[in-house]
Amino acid sequence: MLYYVFTLVFFLFDYFILAMGLNIQYGATGILNFAYIGFVAVGAYMTGVAGMPSNITGQHYILGLGLPFPLNTLFGGLSAMAMAVIVALITLRRLRTDYLAIVLISLSLVLYDFCNNFVPLFNGADGLYNVPAPLTKALGLNVNSFIVVFACVTGVVALILWFVMARVTNAPLGRSLRAIRDDSTVAGALGKDVFRMQLKSMLIGSFYAGIGGGLLIQFGGSFNPTAWLPGETFVVFAVLIVGGAGNNIGMFVGALLVETLLIHLPAFLPEIPGHPGLIEYIDSALVGIVLMVMLWTRPQGIVPERVRRAVTFGVPDRPEIDARELGSAEVLGAPVAAATEGAK
Amino acid sequence: MPALRTEAVTAGYGRSPIIHDISVTAELRSVTTIIGPNGAGKSTFAKTLVGILKPMSGRIFVGDTETTKLPGHEIPRRGLVYVPQNDNVFKRMSVRENLEVGGFVSKADPSERIDELFQIFPDLAKAKDKKAGFLSGGQQNLLAIARALMAKPTVIVLDEPTAGLSPAYTSVVWEQIERISQLDTAALVVEQNVERALKHSNYVHIFVAGRSHVHGPAEEIAALDLPSIFLGRSVADQPA
Ligand SMILES: Nc1ncnc2c1ncn2[C@@H]1O[C@H](COP(=O)(O)OP(=O)(O)OP(=O)(O)O)[C@@H](O)[C@H]1O
Ligand SMILES: [Mg+2]
Repeated sequence: MLYYVFTLVFFLFDYFILAMGLNIQYGATGILNFAYIGFVAVGAYMTGVAGMPSNITGQHYILGLGLPFPLNTLFGGLSAMAMAVIVALITLRRLRTDYLAIVLISLSLVLYDFCNNFVPLFNGADGLYNVPAPLTKALGLNVNSFIVVFACVTGVVALILWFVMARVTNAPLGRSLRAIRDDSTVAGALGKDVFRMQLKSMLIGSFYAGIGGGLLIQFGGSFNPTAWLPGETFVVFAVLIVGGAGNNIGMFVGALLVETLLIHLPAFLPEIPGHPGLIEYIDSALVGIVLMVMLWTRPQGIVPERVRRAVTFGVPDRPEIDARELGSAEVLGAPVAAATEGAK
Repeated sequence: MPALRTEAVTAGYGRSPIIHDISVTAELRSVTTIIGPNGAGKSTFAKTLVGILKPMSGRIFVGDTETTKLPGHEIPRRGLVYVPQNDNVFKRMSVRENLEVGGFVSKADPSERIDELFQIFPDLAKAKDKKAGFLSGGQQNLLAIARALMAKPTVIVLDEPTAGLSPAYTSVVWEQIERISQLDTAALVVEQNVERALKHSNYVHIFVAGRSHVHGPAEEIAALDLPSIFLGRSVADQPA
C-alpha cells in the first residue's frame, strides 16, 4: 500500500516538473510545443545510456558511460536542451503559432519512428531496460524502499526546479516572454529580440523535460517507444490546462488532478470482472472529458495566471495618483487631466 | 538634423512593392502626419520605418544613424519606437507590466519613469493593476503610447492612434500627441481623420496609391481641395 502511494507521489512530482517545462514554453511564451514528449524521451534515453555500462548483453545503444546519479540525469537534461537548439534553429526563426505546432508535431513523429526503428541508437522498439536504479547500492535499498526514496528524491528535485522557475518567470525575462506570447510583433517593436527570447524559453523548458524524462526511466528501470507515443504530449498539456497555464503552482495542482488521480490512481483499482483493461480506456476518455469541460467552463485553469501587481524591482508601490492633483501638475499642465475627466 | 529621415524608400510584402520612393522627414518638437485613403500604404510605411518590413531600396535614418538594415529589435535602441494600428497592448499583462516591458532601454528601475507617465496619463494610473485587455479601446491606445514613451524615444511612430475612438477621447489622444512632441520628440502619426490631422500637425503628407502624392505644412495642405487629391488628382489640377 505504502509503495502504491509513493508511486503516485513520484508521478505527481515528475509531472510537476514536466508541466513546469511546458508551462514556460507554452504558458509563458506561447510556443505551442506539440513535440514536448520528444524532449522528455531524449532526456529519458540519454539518461539511460549515460547511466548504463557499455557492456549489457542483448541491448544495443550508444554511449554507455556508466555515470552515477545525478550526473546521468543532468546529462539527459542537457541532451534535451541540445535537441532544443537544433529544433529551434529549424523551426522558430521562420514559423509562428499553428504552423510551428504542425511542424513540431511532425518532428516528434519523425523522431519517434527513427528511435523505434533504428536499433543501434536506443535499442529500437524494445527500448532500454535494466536501467540501474540509482542509490540502491549506496543506501542498501530493496525494490520497495527504492520507490519511497526515489519518490522523495524526485520531490526534492521538483522543489528545487520550482524555486528556480519561479525566479525565472518573475524576473524581467519572464515579463519579456509574456510580452512575446501576447504579441511578438509589438514586443519586437519595443526592442525585444524575439527569437533569442523564444530560444531561451525553449532551452529552459527542454531542460525540465529532459530531467523529468531522466527521472522517469530511472524510476521504472526501462523506457521504450510505447512510453512516449506522440499523444502523450497531450497528457502534459492536460496537466497544464487543468492546472492553469502561466502559473507554476497550477502545474502542481494539474499534476495532482490529472496525472496522479485520473491517470495513475485508477491503475490500482481492481479490474472490472470480465473486462480486463477496460479501466484504462475509461480513464483515457475521462482525461479527454475533463479537458473539454475545463476548456468550456474554466479555460484559465484551476489556478489562473495572476496579474502581477508588485513592482518587479522590489520598490514599494506608489499610492494611487489623484486625478485632481494632476490637474494642477506643473509638468504637463491642466488640460490633459481636464480632457480626460471630460471623456468619462 | 531631422530626428527621422527617409530617402526614396520602396517597400512591400513579398516581392511586389506597395510604397514607392517615399521621402519623409520628421523634426523634433513637431507632429508630422500621414493621411490618405484606405490601402494607400500608410501602415506599410510605418512598418518599414520600424524594421518589421525591410526596404527594397532607399535609406532610413534616425538622427544620424542609418537604420535601414538593422534588425527590428535594434531600432528602438536607436530612439525610434512604434505603436501599431490595432491590438497594440499585451492584453493578459497588467497596465503596469505593459509599461515595464517598454522600459527595456535602461537596466535601471523603471518605476520612476512609470510614475512620470502616470502623471501624464492619469486614467492609466487608476487602472495600473488591471489587465490591459480590460481597458477600453481608447485607454488601450493611451497605454500603447505611454509604453512607447517609457524608452524616452526621439521618434514615436503612431499608426492610427485614434481609430475607433469617441470624439472626446480622440481629442484626448491628439492633445497627448501634441504634448509628447513638445518633450523633445518627433511624432510621426498616421491618421484617417483629415480635419484632426490638419488641426494638430505641423507637416502633412498625403499618401495615394503608395506614393507621397502631396506634402507641405498643415496650413498649406488645408487650403487644397483634398477630396480630389484623395482620388489621385495632382496639385497642378487644383483650381487657383
Ligand atoms: N501583410 C500583408 N501582406 C500583403 N499585402 C498587404 C499586407 N498588409 C497590407 N497589404 C497590402 O498593402 C496595401 C497597403 O496596405 P496598408 O495597410 O499599408 O494601407 P493603409 O494605408 O494603412 O490603409 P488603412 O487606412 O486601411 O489602414 C494594401 O493594398 C494591402 O492589401
Ligand atoms: Mg493602416
